[in-house]
Amino acid sequence: MAWQRVASFSEIDVDGVLGVDVNGSPVALYRLSNEVFATSGICTHALALLSDGFVEDGRIECPLHQGQFDVRSGKALCAPVTEDLRTYAVKLEGDDVFIDMERPAASAPAVANAAPNCKAGDGVRNAEEGDQAGTRKIATMNVDPELSLTKRYVWPAEGLTRIPDWVYTDQTIYEREIERIFHGRTWNYVALECEVPKVGDFIRSNVGPTPVVVVRADDGSINVVENRCSHRAAEFCRELSGNVKEFVCPYHQWSYDLQGNLAGVPFRRGVNGKGGMPADFNNAQHGLRRLNVTTHRGVVFASYLDDMESFQNYLGPEVLNEFEATFDGRKPRLLGYYRHTLPGNWKLYHENLKDPYHATLLHTFLVTFGLLVAGNRSLMLADATGRHGVMASAKSERKSVSSDAKKEMRAYRDGMTLAEPRFMDFVEEFDSPWSVTMATIWPNLIIQREMNTLGLRQIIPTGPHEFIMKWTMFGFEGDDEEMTRHRLRQGNLMGPAGFLGLEDNEAIKFVQDGMQHVPGGQHLVKLDPAVAAGTSDSLISEASIRAMYRHWRAEMGL
Amino acid sequence: MSEPAVTRHSPPDGAPLDSQLAQALDEQRLSDWTEMFTDDALYVILSRENYDRGLPVGLIYCENKRMIHDRAFALMETSMFAPRYLRHIIANQVVVSVESNGTIKSRANYVVLQVLFDRPDATLHQVGVYYDVFRRVGGELKLAERRCVYDNLLVPNALCIPV
Repeated sequence: MAWQRVASFSEIDVDGVLGVDVNGSPVALYRLSNEVFATSGICTHALALLSDGFVEDGRIECPLHQGQFDVRSGKALCAPVTEDLRTYAVKLEGDDVFIDMERPAASAPAVANAAPNCKAGDGVRNAEEGDQAGTRKIATMNVDPELSLTKRYVWPAEGLTRIPDWVYTDQTIYEREIERIFHGRTWNYVALECEVPKVGDFIRSNVGPTPVVVVRADDGSINVVENRCSHRAAEFCRELSGNVKEFVCPYHQWSYDLQGNLAGVPFRRGVNGKGGMPADFNNAQHGLRRLNVTTHRGVVFASYLDDMESFQNYLGPEVLNEFEATFDGRKPRLLGYYRHTLPGNWKLYHENLKDPYHATLLHTFLVTFGLLVAGNRSLMLADATGRHGVMASAKSERKSVSSDAKKEMRAYRDGMTLAEPRFMDFVEEFDSPWSVTMATIWPNLIIQREMNTLGLRQIIPTGPHEFIMKWTMFGFEGDDEEMTRHRLRQGNLMGPAGFLGLEDNEAIKFVQDGMQHVPGGQHLVKLDPAVAAGTSDSLISEASIRAMYRHWRAEMGL
Repeated sequence: MSEPAVTRHSPPDGAPLDSQLAQALDEQRLSDWTEMFTDDALYVILSRENYDRGLPVGLIYCENKRMIHDRAFALMETSMFAPRYLRHIIANQVVVSVESNGTIKSRANYVVLQVLFDRPDATLHQVGVYYDVFRRVGGELKLAERRCVYDNLLVPNALCIPV
């Protein structure tokens, strides 16, 4: 961008401020003697127009909370403002004032540090002076600041130990995630093979927010197609699951075979020689959007990219090893679903399972009944890319908890016992040193192996502030009735009413709530500085969260 | 005076106990709620999706009163969730059958409304059907079986108090 004429010199009062609107962005122009300076027109503290403020001694005072900035350098001078104003280069040609919004003001002489707090009476006195001045001109302005003004996608200078709130709350960021992550170079969980055992069996599923249908075709292959008619975009498949010979869109009866090929278009040639599709209309070019599909040990994944690496490579050796410890070759058997909404950003769910710190502190149930104590053997694994992770721990026999640990865990109580303790039993069935593993498979899957209650949690984002979680609970073929019932009893731990699950959902909601009304906020993820980002053998660590954001930033170009 | 048998005017349904159960839940007196079950009571909350397909997974799955007790105890003593007010509203009670030993099979529609403290609205937290079995224990009517089958498949965030 180049110089733009924004005002006449004569419009700006000496020691005054003039607000102008430049390409939708409020800009404040100040005149000190014969010099003109320009800054962003919105206070960095709260949403207030600086052109409603007062200029004194080369400072602009915000009308709302009396924060002050140096008009030459934009520097924030006193509470409550802490962030400097953006400045813009200014030049004068005759009576015309030009600014360049891409160039900051030339470095100005340092201004002596002001008193750390403004005098309490300042605002009142200035208001009186302002009234006397009387003639301040304010250009007609758009009081709703443009996005470009308030949204700055700049990662905090501290690096990965801080996560800015806009990562979780911003619509533009969310849309970019759909494009670059869920529709990008990822394998997305969509189903278990046992949900579509026979030809024509289908379930509805999602890749990111996008509805898809997973269907077993005549040749036995599993196909994943967008649930969107190629004619008018209707979401044609409405049942959650079922068996069909073909898919027919109810709107205009376009029909598709089980691989998504367009089979029939009613009145394609029109009626009585009139209407209909153009003569060159080719069904082969108008099938349903088909995704790349892979399966591993009975679990189905889909990708929008056709040139994906193999699923095994995608997981990396360590996470693949944990995947195969849970899916150990036995055939999964469907036990049912939980579905819930969660009013939080989808990444918070990954973070919750890359945050073993919370486990003993939030989930006092675990501590109370000795399932997890701070000293249990555990691992927080991150793959080489940082996108996947496995939180693992080994159940210990209930033993005395050290007094230090008790102090830290607010709900610990000696001697608390369950009336029906068997639901917490662990039946050894896996070739693994861990009794509990939570594998976070980027970007949309959590594999829950909480002792003997097993589930796949599928993240379906619906916006920056909410996602749907679909839990597919399973056992294995060969489970006897008692084992199935044991899994169901133990299922009380998880899901949206689970002793642990409900707490996770509440905590994540609280985090999203906390970001709603605090502009410019950041999260602190500093635990375990010995590990910059990646695998840690300490539970008191956020190194895996940092690893995830290293990956996320690279994928997002931020 | 002999105990009046079933009269035409007041069928021996579980409605009064339903009201007591609902009131205990509304007031979050979960240990009182627990005491209204028989020792071998089944208490399961499951989605209509699972119920219709014969899939057994439940949001809450208690096979006996001890598990119901543990659920109540854990919710009151260890669980973390935002404070809330709830109203359980039960309607359309229908007695399906009354057996000779006094066991009553019945069903009823239910609605649970939830109020969080920072919003003006009461939201429809759950809507569904109770499939119940009531039985007399020592002359007192108790709940021997309750399957809460909910229609709103997407649970709003978390179910913290039983339905």
